[in-house]
Amino acid sequence: MISQSESKSSQETPVLEIKGLVKKFGQRTVLKNISLCFAKGKTTAIIGPSGCGKTVLIKHLICLLRPSTGEVLFKGQRIDELDESALAPIRTRIGFLFQAGALFDSLTVRENILFPVRQHQKGPAFKDADDLVRNKLTMVGLDGFQDYYPANLSGGQQKRVALARAIALDPEVILYDEPTTGLDPIRSDIINELILKLQRELAVTSVVVTHDMKSAYKIADRIIMLHDGNVIVDGDADHVKNHTHPIVQQFIHGRLSEEDLASLNVSSF
Amino acid sequence: MLMAIGARTLQFFEDTGQFARFGSQALGCSVRCLFRSHAYGLVSTQINAIGVRSVPVIMITGAFVGMTLAIQAYDQLASMGMEEHLGVLINLSVVKELGPVLAAVMLAGRIGGALTAELGTMNVTEQIDAIRSMGTDPVRYLVVPRVMACLLLTPVLIIYADLLGVLGGAMVSFAHLGINGRAYWDFSAHGVAMWDLGIGVIKGFFFGGAIATVSCYKGFTCKEGAHGVGQACTEAFVLSFISILVLDFGLAVAAKAIYQSFWPIRSIVG
Repeated sequence: MISQSESKSSQETPVLEIKGLVKKFGQRTVLKNISLCFAKGKTTAIIGPSGCGKTVLIKHLICLLRPSTGEVLFKGQRIDELDESALAPIRTRIGFLFQAGALFDSLTVRENILFPVRQHQKGPAFKDADDLVRNKLTMVGLDGFQDYYPANLSGGQQKRVALARAIALDPEVILYDEPTTGLDPIRSDIINELILKLQRELAVTSVVVTHDMKSAYKIADRIIMLHDGNVIVDGDADHVKNHTHPIVQQFIHGRLSEEDLASLNVSSF
Repeated sequence: MLMAIGARTLQFFEDTGQFARFGSQALGCSVRCLFRSHAYGLVSTQINAIGVRSVPVIMITGAFVGMTLAIQAYDQLASMGMEEHLGVLINLSVVKELGPVLAAVMLAGRIGGALTAELGTMNVTEQIDAIRSMGTDPVRYLVVPRVMACLLLTPVLIIYADLLGVLGGAMVSFAHLGINGRAYWDFSAHGVAMWDLGIGVIKGFFFGGAIATVSCYKGFTCKEGAHGVGQACTEAFVLSFISILVLDFGLAVAAKAIYQSFWPIRSIVG
């Protein structure tokens, strides 16, 4: 592993940290001894080919999955050993944008955004519900959509509503699982701009799983590439672009290897 | 071969353990939610979806059970000159056994399938993970209202099935078979006790709890994709159906034992 930012990261306060993370599903090892720190206020993109364990890694950061071995820490506190009820207050400080939005289809946009608020804030704070919903929807450019159901929204709008829900409790960290997947280039760029805007305005720490290199270059202070369960690159955009590892170059330029072409019975051109 | 048997056995015990853990978690949360008024709103929504909308199908089931029993039992009783006892046979069968069991089977198909499909779809679209990621216990938010609604409503729905079964049986007996109404009701009143009715209704609590827990568990653990959801729905119905039959047998044995234990006391009091 080549880690340009390792020394720099170690001097900053890690909001999230994983140590020696190994994740196995049955006999298959998806993540192999991964250690990473995520510094406060920075945006980190985790890239890699489909099936390399990016989503598995990000789900460990909020303990939706538990490590086979290794540790997950939030602000220095080990969280992977906590039970679900002890994790609840920590999870309210971390927003998660799911790949397909994961909006509750039986609830309106307003009810979706208010869901975490209703679960965790009662009494006077809850009286400002309408203002809160309007405020969050304005941030993602969808004010006026309060009474829509998710089924009546486009894919891009659903992701923006999901983002509004993810920031409903003003989290310190936002985790994005492939936020631009399935969107056209214009909608993808809207999401990218929103991620940048949230980082600027809320100073949140962001971890973005993506295989969209354009998005990674635009939003990330740091890019980590996973391959075969290991981190093979860790650095800024220039570091990744200039990296000599053939797998890195293939991935960032979207090129197939000779073996891949041979397996498809297609000759190189 | 031995390894395959061993692996299947281990898988069976793992699944059973997971189900037991899920069930105990749902039960524990349900008891706690009884003392939290804000949970009542969620239960009320489920009562409408699960209970109110099931009333017509349950009433139809009960009515046809009673009517069919009348048609089928009449010839045997008439050949012994006991056709006026038809009411006892119909009403006892309906309130004690057929009403509760067939109503529960109907609910397992209508409610169980819907619960598994709804929660299974939420599972594969990561909505359940989304609930967890926001610091909310999905068992408390999704399972408890459904279990409580089923626990509360299955006995009530069984009463509806019983009522329509009794009326359906009486209607066919009077209008089609020409049984004397007075004798029909007199023999029924003599042969069917509150105990019999109570046992049928009590069965409803157990059937409702089993249907809801099994269906929610299958939804929570369903595999990816449309096939996974479909398979979970089928498994939920089959498992609910078997649970109803097993519980029915167990409750019949327990009810008989209790009845026999208290029968002498009842005679003394009476």
